[in-house]
Amino acid sequence: MTPEQITLVQSSFDRLGPDLPALTARFYQEVFQRDPALRPLFPSDLAELRVKFAQKLTEIVQSMPRLAELLVHTRALGARHVGYGVRTRDYQTIGDSLIAALAAVLGEEFDAQTHEAWVLAYTLVAETMLEGAAAARPIGS
Amino acid sequence: MFERALGSGERAGLVIYGRAGVGKTRLADECADQAAASGHPAQRVAGSRTTALLPLGGVAALLPDGLGGLGPDGQVNPVALFEQTRQALHERHRGRRLVIVADDVALLDAASLALLGYLAAQRSIFLIATVRTGEPVPDLLTDLWRDGRLERVDLHDLSRAHVDTLLHLALGGPIEGGAGREFWEATRGNPLYLHELTLGALDSGALVERSGVWHLEDFLPATSRLLDLVEQRIGGLPAEARSVVELLALCQPVELGYLETAAPAGVLESLERAGLVTIAVAEAQVRLAHPLHARVVRAAMPKLRARAVLLAQAERLEAAGSAPGPAELRIAVWRLDAGAQPDPAVLARGAHLARYAHDFRMVRRLMEAVPGEDLDAVGALLLGEALYELGAFDASERVLALGQELPSSEHTALLLAVTRAKNAQWGLCQPEKALAINAAARAVVTSPPLAEELVADEASVLTFSGQPDRALAVLGRTTSGDQRARAVRAIAGAVALASAGRTAEALALARDGHADHVALGDEPGIAHPAMHVVNQVFALTEAGRLAEAEQVGRAGAEIVASQRVPIAQIWFAINLGRVAILQGRLTTARRCYAEAAGLAQSSRFAGSRRVALSGLALAHAMLGEPDAAAQALAERAAVPPFGFLGPEQRLADAWAASAARRPAESAEAFRAAAAEAAATGHRVTESWLLHDLMRTSGEDVSARLSELASACDSQLVSARARHAAAARARGGAELSGAADDFESLGALLLAAEAAGGAADAFGRAGDRRAATAALRRSTALAAACEGANTPGLLHLATVNAAAADPLSGREREVVLLAATGMASKDIAERLYLSVRTVNNHLQHAYAKLGVTSRAGLTQALGSTL
Repeated sequence: MTPEQITLVQSSFDRLGPDLPALTARFYQEVFQRDPALRPLFPSDLAELRVKFAQKLTEIVQSMPRLAELLVHTRALGARHVGYGVRTRDYQTIGDSLIAALAAVLGEEFDAQTHEAWVLAYTLVAETMLEGAAAARPIGS
Repeated sequence: MFERALGSGERAGLVIYGRAGVGKTRLADECADQAAASGHPAQRVAGSRTTALLPLGGVAALLPDGLGGLGPDGQVNPVALFEQTRQALHERHRGRRLVIVADDVALLDAASLALLGYLAAQRSIFLIATVRTGEPVPDLLTDLWRDGRLERVDLHDLSRAHVDTLLHLALGGPIEGGAGREFWEATRGNPLYLHELTLGALDSGALVERSGVWHLEDFLPATSRLLDLVEQRIGGLPAEARSVVELLALCQPVELGYLETAAPAGVLESLERAGLVTIAVAEAQVRLAHPLHARVVRAAMPKLRARAVLLAQAERLEAAGSAPGPAELRIAVWRLDAGAQPDPAVLARGAHLARYAHDFRMVRRLMEAVPGEDLDAVGALLLGEALYELGAFDASERVLALGQELPSSEHTALLLAVTRAKNAQWGLCQPEKALAINAAARAVVTSPPLAEELVADEASVLTFSGQPDRALAVLGRTTSGDQRARAVRAIAGAVALASAGRTAEALALARDGHADHVALGDEPGIAHPAMHVVNQVFALTEAGRLAEAEQVGRAGAEIVASQRVPIAQIWFAINLGRVAILQGRLTTARRCYAEAAGLAQSSRFAGSRRVALSGLALAHAMLGEPDAAAQALAERAAVPPFGFLGPEQRLADAWAASAARRPAESAEAFRAAAAEAAATGHRVTESWLLHDLMRTSGEDVSARLSELASACDSQLVSARARHAAAARARGGAELSGAADDFESLGALLLAAEAAGGAADAFGRAGDRRAATAALRRSTALAAACEGANTPGLLHLATVNAAAADPLSGREREVVLLAATGMASKDIAERLYLSVRTVNNHLQHAYAKLGVTSRAGLTQALGSTL
């Protein structure tokens, strides 16, 4: 990512502000719509998960400019998600859902450049989560 | 997937498809390593052009000793040989399935393939084969595949996003936009090329990190390893095909019609099938499919051969009777590449074309090839401007000075003078020299519009060397002028007016100037149109309209980043840093200034870099990072002085001294800078400096700030004045009012400090409830300031500690119940207290929490309980 793209991700995220709960709600909606088979991986009541997701997303967005710090978050997150039963191909679904949710909540502000910056940000996060996942997955599993 | 396939027994192997360099071998090796880790023996066999000539050459390592000989009839009995091999392997590995990595399996000889097929079918081996896209797939694999006994993996080149991510992870930080694009264009997602180019660029110093961001300073180098890789790809081509590749590498794109007649039939087709060339049918043009191939082939070609090809092509195109235009430029470049001397007139025309496309490297290359005696004034202007744009300021000065000696039209003479002055001002950081060049030109100019422009230009030098009052006096001498003169005048005037505190006029001028400039188009010797938008951001900031400034600044920054206009990118980043400092968003400010400093270093603009480093030091100091601030100042000390925003640059020194706990030095620095600001007409900056002097030392500056407030039409300057007056009066209500002012401007750090002062004042006056409320407000405001650590907040922290009066256990119980909406009577019953005691507890708690009602309780509880 370029520094400008990092700034763009952070500023568009800042602009979400009070709409952050709307984003997380929309995100899960998009995920289950894209792949209903993922629904059983999540608890039936999503309220707590939405809050956690929002917190984690905030931490990750804030640490975006400092790779070492970002990796601490994302690698551990990836390792944890192996235990939740998340598979490699689910990362695509999740990324598409996040981008769709951002587009829905940000509306016109989610222009082409913001879109590209978020795709790169998600790719970075997903790749490093997968690194964490690979390290956590025992050989032969 | 690999583990599952290996474990199942159903599968005989795994085949990996993909283009050269996509990582097939790497993936196969990883699989083999994983197999080894789970107890399987693993072995590699590899096809190559040499082993393909020998039966069983590729798998010799698998054959047990003594089995390679002939049978009694002088023939090899393949079935017996295969079975013996199987048994030998079985014994050697004690029944465990051997994992064989067959790299480039299509290059194995037929006998080796048959043996592998036999062993795989018998399940004594697990085959991991790699197949290059475009190579024929051996029957062995198609047979196994048909039986459903192979897993297939397709590897693709990386997407643009993945190239970017891989670089980000490999380098450990973000990469500047142009550099990212360069890597993408050179590699087109080929991981192997990406790997080699990155290592090569790090090695050669082309890729460097500054302020946490990676920049590409030079062309990506073609390393010898890259030469090898590309040679592997095209090494086996027949001579005719290789000639076509070489021709394309030197002269692409080449017309399809020409290649169809020049190359033997079928050559082009086979190159296209092998994925080496692409044919754009609509344009009827042929190119090498991979940009890196062109670079590497060029680097590896013998010079004499390259020269012959280039000259032949130049003659061919010339004979075809090309009109002046792009074709002529290509001919000139080919002649130059061939080391021949093209016609200087053609070079100059080519340079004009390149200038039109903003390709300053090409302008420089073409114009430097013009022999000295053939260089005219227009040529000197082109070359001098290109040198300036490329950061070669000394060379630019020499060429432009020489150009002024040559005969020219008055218009060209003006452009030479203006460009030379711009180079002296921005490149050499010598405003006195720029003024001298301008004065000399004004002395001889006769045409009135040109004279107008020179006056506007003089004002520009004055503004951007930190003398807004003098600039405004000069601008007062001019009134009319054409569109170009108006655009130049607007650039200088908007900044000078805003600095002087005439922000509404400044904003209007910046907007008009932009409109004039856009209508004017792109002309030499004049700044980029986006600079008018930078000036709007500056004027809005000086007016205290911070939210608007931020909005315009962000939008502008995005546009110039996508268009790659470094000078505008730098100034948008600096202006966004200024806005963020005033808003109290200090880590954002630090990021903006660091970005500006990195960009300024890449484009070699020392003056802008100095301003950016000052801002960086300021942000560090206000974040309570004195060491980092000192480091930024040390870096700045190596950059020549630059007058633009001069007094503002000195904020950094004063704040750094304050952060390092040298209060006397800090106060003295503020006073000296404020005096400089007053002497040069920086009224808004003067108010900033004096206000910060008050914030850091408590010194009373209210009288001068009040004068400045009446002299400026800036809400920010007014708010500072009110704050200083309130601080002088030590009035809680007045300080709260100042906090309101700042908050409404979005200056949250200043609001937090004013609210902290209000809490202090209320506390001294004995109004505990108001004091607590102000304190709560200050704390909430400070929380939005991204780690701000200023004396104004330190002061707040001590007040906080003194006023910190946590609720007692009983008060807490009562409050918690009250916050749920329970009536006092019910609380009394629940806690076995009298209603009066409950109400007493509530009153105490209200005072401590700074609220007056139950409604306010819920909100207050979050942070205090």
